[in-house]
Amino acid sequence: MNRLNASAVTWRVLVLLLSLYFLLPLVWLIVSSTKSTGQLFTTFGLWFASPWHLLDNIRGMAAFQGGVVGRWMLNTAVYSGAVALLSTLFSAMAGYAFSRFEFPLKTVLNLMILSAVLLPITALVLPIFLILHDLGLINTYWAVILPLLVNPLGVYLMMIFWDQGFARELQDAAYLDGADEWRVFWQVGLPLVRNGLLTVALFSFVSTWNNFFLPLVVLSKGSLYPITLGLAIWNSTAQTGASVDYPAILVGALISVLPLIIAFFTLQRYWQAGLTSGSLK
Amino acid sequence: MGWSPARAHPTGRVDDAKTLYLSLFTQHGIRPKVFTGLANYVRVLHDGQFLSSLGTIAKFGVIQIPVMLLLALALALYLDGLRSARWRSYFSLSFFLPYAMPTVIGGLLWGYLYSKGLSPFNQMLAPLGGQIDFLGRSGLLWSLGNIITWTWTGYNMIILYSALRGVPGELYEAARIDGATNLQVIRFIKLPMVAPALALAALFSIIGTLQIFAEPFVLGSLTFVPTNLMPNLYIYFTAFNYGNFNYAAALAVVLAIITFALSLGMLALLNFQRRRL
Amino acid sequence: MRKLWLVAAAAVLSLAVAQTAPSLPSYSGPPVTLTFWSWVPGIDKAVAAFEKAYPNITVNASNVGSGPNEYTKLLTALKAGTGAPDVVQIEYDFLPNFIDFGGLADLSKYGADKYSSLFVPWTWSQVSPQGKAVYAIPQDTGPFALVYREDLYKKYGLSVPKTWAEFEANAKKLAQETNGSVQYTDFYSTYAPWFMGLVWADGGRLWTHSGNSWTQSLNSASAKKVIDYWGKLVDNKYAATLPDFTSELNSALAKGQITTLIEAAWGPGSLASRLGSESAADWRAAPLPQWGTDGTFHSGNWGGSSTAVTVQSKHPDAATIFALWLNANGTALGLNWENGGLFPAAKAGLDLPALHDSSKNPSKFFGGQDIAKVYADASAGVPTDFQWAPWFLYANNSFNKYIADAVAGKTGWSAALDAWQQDVLNYAKTQGYQVSGQ
Repeated sequence: MNRLNASAVTWRVLVLLLSLYFLLPLVWLIVSSTKSTGQLFTTFGLWFASPWHLLDNIRGMAAFQGGVVGRWMLNTAVYSGAVALLSTLFSAMAGYAFSRFEFPLKTVLNLMILSAVLLPITALVLPIFLILHDLGLINTYWAVILPLLVNPLGVYLMMIFWDQGFARELQDAAYLDGADEWRVFWQVGLPLVRNGLLTVALFSFVSTWNNFFLPLVVLSKGSLYPITLGLAIWNSTAQTGASVDYPAILVGALISVLPLIIAFFTLQRYWQAGLTSGSLK
Repeated sequence: MGWSPARAHPTGRVDDAKTLYLSLFTQHGIRPKVFTGLANYVRVLHDGQFLSSLGTIAKFGVIQIPVMLLLALALALYLDGLRSARWRSYFSLSFFLPYAMPTVIGGLLWGYLYSKGLSPFNQMLAPLGGQIDFLGRSGLLWSLGNIITWTWTGYNMIILYSALRGVPGELYEAARIDGATNLQVIRFIKLPMVAPALALAALFSIIGTLQIFAEPFVLGSLTFVPTNLMPNLYIYFTAFNYGNFNYAAALAVVLAIITFALSLGMLALLNFQRRRL
Repeated sequence: MRKLWLVAAAAVLSLAVAQTAPSLPSYSGPPVTLTFWSWVPGIDKAVAAFEKAYPNITVNASNVGSGPNEYTKLLTALKAGTGAPDVVQIEYDFLPNFIDFGGLADLSKYGADKYSSLFVPWTWSQVSPQGKAVYAIPQDTGPFALVYREDLYKKYGLSVPKTWAEFEANAKKLAQETNGSVQYTDFYSTYAPWFMGLVWADGGRLWTHSGNSWTQSLNSASAKKVIDYWGKLVDNKYAATLPDFTSELNSALAKGQITTLIEAAWGPGSLASRLGSESAADWRAAPLPQWGTDGTFHSGNWGGSSTAVTVQSKHPDAATIFALWLNANGTALGLNWENGGLFPAAKAGLDLPALHDSSKNPSKFFGGQDIAKVYADASAGVPTDFQWAPWFLYANNSFNKYIADAVAGKTGWSAALDAWQQDVLNYAKTQGYQVSGQ
């Protein structure tokens, strides 16, 4: 039942305005992708102009360096998919350990995990570069994937979700049924923290997708670039006085955001409320 | 126990160690390096530019973090109370979108929205006489605060919203039976349940704020951004533009220690909240 | 009979000229592969042509970002002792930084010093600052010229200024006629090298280096003269302060709100690309205005890169040959102009027909004018003794801070230079350099 009173409507309107503010970049991006270079700074930025140049821009993007943009998208999918999968798994396991067990050095390990994010990436880049080089992994996919598997936020988030979603009674019941630790974790526990897994996976996926600085330092082969790096490099050549197809870059940016939106929608369908209700009965 | 949390962090420890190692030396270019012990750290303590960047980030964080988290909490509660799945879907996507935007695009967009001549805001204000210089010296920090809040509110909202969705249904049923009002439900059920997630969001917001880099870096191509506006920006320039990796390492370690000190407080709060549940 | 003598004389002369221009070296070593970092668009075409001419050398070219992005990677790799390419693009103003860092190989060991005559003299002193070691091969240049809207000049009754005094008079006239709605020019307050180029044109030197010690004079009389002149233009609102390469500037240019710019040789190409069809064919180029009225001509330089070889290269001889060929061979020069818009440092490049092609941009954007000739003349007028310092980047960044204050009216313009000089001097000293002021 919808209680349509003044207060509910006011809230709705306020939040709606806020949502439009958050949507601004997508609007600007979509609108700009349909414009030619000249139109970009002679027409109002947040609405379309005529004639449309969307097809020209798409062609310009596809033609850049022989279609390298497609390759960049593929790379980005590989990086993001691998990191999301692996780091979510590790976070779930680590979070489980912190949530369920007491073990010696627990506090120390806890702090060690936190310490992984204390040093800013700008300082870590040189050591990361050195280590990856020693391992022979510079200019490979692993150069980007390995360092990004470190995910303290994921660990702590999973810890909270384990606390909340996996009641002790349930866990004990499973032991009584004869299950070992692995089965309790994998078959009984994981489905109950689905929300958490999806949240961590989503964040992991998005942050890897948009990561620019790490690939800049560890990759020097254009064919391995993720799309944000590729677009940023393409865009920066505009400042050197060379001729750059600016709208084509914008179309590339638009296309690079679409998979994230799709990922978001897909994951949304699996978010459910009150998963543990009724499971003890 | 079949697995160790440390397994989840393959390169973490080694990187930290190497950074520490670097900070104990001084090297001019690629000439042989000289062990200088704590000399770099002494220099950090006297580095006026670095110290003022810490002051800036403190001023910035004290306002920006609470504003952002309160907004995220309010939106998460609002979404949780919505019945229509369609509206929930639309709102959560729109709040999430800024986080999904690559910083390069965000930079271009805000460059446009903040420009003196082309910005829709300034175009609307022009007939009224005023023109806001969003990216001028006095406006820069506020504009940056706006960009960061805009980018990360949705992210934090999703964390809080996820936690809210995990509240067991029977708690609500029991409250309904007891005749609780919406406000009481929020105060006695939702807020306590979301407290650990809020503490976690606060913890990572503090860490994130101390390490702000991408946004001012991107703005640097649109306007003058002092290289010591934020500590991490200063570290970047020291390392990568002036080639002084050793001093940058010392700066980073000092920043890490400060971050750690501030995090301990939050971490304690987090564990306290968890135990209350 | 006379004609035969003339022809014979010409033949002898050209033979003499040909003799003085050394031919590029050949490669007789084993097959090698080189890595090359460059952000010049379309450089891969010149690379392919090189591989045809030198079948035993393979070159893998990558674009790892322009300017600062590439330097980030280069510094990281050099410091790490590994991962740097064989050949790398470095702008002139950053060369001392990398030379001082110890990252560049001395190409005179591989015969590069024999080829100095192929290049415009001031570019050679950029890559060989002390005259002995050669750290890179000059690639392209950015000499200054005056760039203006002919249609707007006609409309407001302005004539092309030959001196800075005339430039200022034009600005004043325009302000009066349009009540300030159209500004004469734009001051690039966020690009120190632009300002430095103008000081360069006046014969000023910001840094000099001898042996191990440096002298820095960012606030020299010459520098103050230039900044006070532009400061006056800004304060009177004759000059806008829109940053270069922004939509804001593009918009103002497209709408005809700015009539004149001081642009480097790569500027016209950039304008043509950024403005699309707006204001096409209305622009013209003319020689840079002069301070004096006695007819001597000087220009300055903004930008331009060189091709260097890193100390990590295992094939410096092959790398040197590649660097030389890329920047001195006629085919390569033509390709680099067409694909990358590189205004060549090599003398031979300045005569290339492609540069003077009026049917293509940027000449087309300039109504078919032979702007390459204007810029070639400008290049010839650039003083040869201008030097950069290893801490150029710090000077570059801090310039923005002090000039921003001056633009906002918080300090005077000369005072800003004094403060800038002091700040950078202190920095250089803390970095361990032996440097004194003025």
